[in-house]
Amino acid sequence: MSVRELEDVWRRESPHVLGALLRRHGDLADCEDAAQEALEAAARQWQELPGNPRGWLITVASRRLIDRARADAARAGRELAVASEEPSPVPPERDDSLELLLLCCHPALSRPSQVALTLRAVSGLSTAEIAAAFLVPEATMGQRLSRARATLREAGVRFERPEPDDLPARVAAVLDVLHLVFNEGYTRSAGRALLDGELTREAIRLTRELERALPDHDEVAGALALMLLTQAREPARTDARGDLVPLARQDRSRWRRDEIAQGVAILERVLPRGPVGRFQLQAAIAAVHAEAPDAAGTDWAQIRTLYDMLERVAPGPAVTLNRAVAVAMESGPAAGLTIVGGLLEDPRLARHHRTHAVRAHLLELAGDRVGAADAFARAAGLTASLPEQRYLNRCAAEARR
Amino acid sequence: MKYVILIHSNPRPWGHPTADYVPEFQSLPQERKDAMLADFERRLKELSERGELLGGEALGDAANARLYRWTDDAPLATDGPYSEAKEHLAGFFLIDVESQERAEEIAGQFASPGDTVELRATMWPGGDDQ
Repeated sequence: MSVRELEDVWRRESPHVLGALLRRHGDLADCEDAAQEALEAAARQWQELPGNPRGWLITVASRRLIDRARADAARAGRELAVASEEPSPVPPERDDSLELLLLCCHPALSRPSQVALTLRAVSGLSTAEIAAAFLVPEATMGQRLSRARATLREAGVRFERPEPDDLPARVAAVLDVLHLVFNEGYTRSAGRALLDGELTREAIRLTRELERALPDHDEVAGALALMLLTQAREPARTDARGDLVPLARQDRSRWRRDEIAQGVAILERVLPRGPVGRFQLQAAIAAVHAEAPDAAGTDWAQIRTLYDMLERVAPGPAVTLNRAVAVAMESGPAAGLTIVGGLLEDPRLARHHRTHAVRAHLLELAGDRVGAADAFARAAGLTASLPEQRYLNRCAAEARR
Repeated sequence: MKYVILIHSNPRPWGHPTADYVPEFQSLPQERKDAMLADFERRLKELSERGELLGGEALGDAANARLYRWTDDAPLATDGPYSEAKEHLAGFFLIDVESQERAEEIAGQFASPGDTVELRATMWPGGDDQ
């Protein structure tokens, strides 16, 4: 069996193996260790794929857990009550991936810890792979993961499905994490081509699984639609030199029509069911863009209505900025600039590059090239993104010409 | 998001921790000094445990820096320091945090009498197309 084949099996089976172990023995760190040992045993012993790889891995990992519990008990000089509980060799088929996702995105954990733990325990990525994806040293990622496991242990978190009343909030946290993973992958696909869309693919895969587990949660479907509609733009978002191309200037003939069709189909199914959450609204906005022939031919009135709704459901400066663009495209730049002017009164937003970038575009639209150049330059100085900085500096130079 | 926290200081003689060599810190009552140093150690440990601290280094005396300038189509080496300013870069910490707000919170905690703390964002290779 090749390393690649074993990796594929592991990525597919690891959440189920972990889930089965966690149901019997609640500690995530112990279960992850045992699962890892089972994987190492598989790498040594499998000449070819066994008939039931999941059952094999669960059985071996369960034995390791019991061996370890026995050794711990022996060291402590105690009898072990569970020692006689041999695992059933072939476990009943049951999908634990939802419970595992919920565990990894538990509210006791910080958002970066939730992200790291999800990629480790649910996606089966190695600590080194996650560290590389987030551009931090492996030791740092290792600490983040052990801290997360310790926090779950200290908080006495159990591996079980939350109460029905708690489920929507817990699912919302999972969606935030998956969307963050998606964005991390998507925004990274500009500039240095060091990521090959692994994170975006993984986020979409996990969101699809979540949708299968919770077909009635429309926000899960909305998040999936948003990811597909965004991912569809990927071929057009960088130019031949690898520089960032903003949405308004992208060559839409390069957008992937199959992903757009999938995203739109999901929206057509869930939107009429209402109430409509933020992911469905963001996806609906992405769908309006996807259906427009170009930036000028976009149904900006529709986008403005959607941003009005989004601002009610999930208010925030990023939403207001996007609404300002829609208002400007629909009713002229002055109306948009008034909204941006209001945001600039908040010192925190005045130090954010996007506020100035949007203002610059609107000033340019209004014919104020000098003001636009200054605002582009200000935005370029504030952004921490290399491709955005190159783009904004280019815009500033063009506006000065 | 990654940030670098730069510590500018003028320890006399040059030494680390800079607090031990700057009059502003040395003039504090012993109890206060002990408490501040203990706080600092505790914060570093916390940052490390949270996976936010990526690393850091104390730097050697700026006076002993070697400078290389391009002159007559070749590098020309001279002795430092780079800047005539009184305070020099004395060390740095590299952190990886969720938000600018968190970075500012941490940088504020690195402030110490006699030092100037500078928070700078590091550039990253990604970008948004919105």
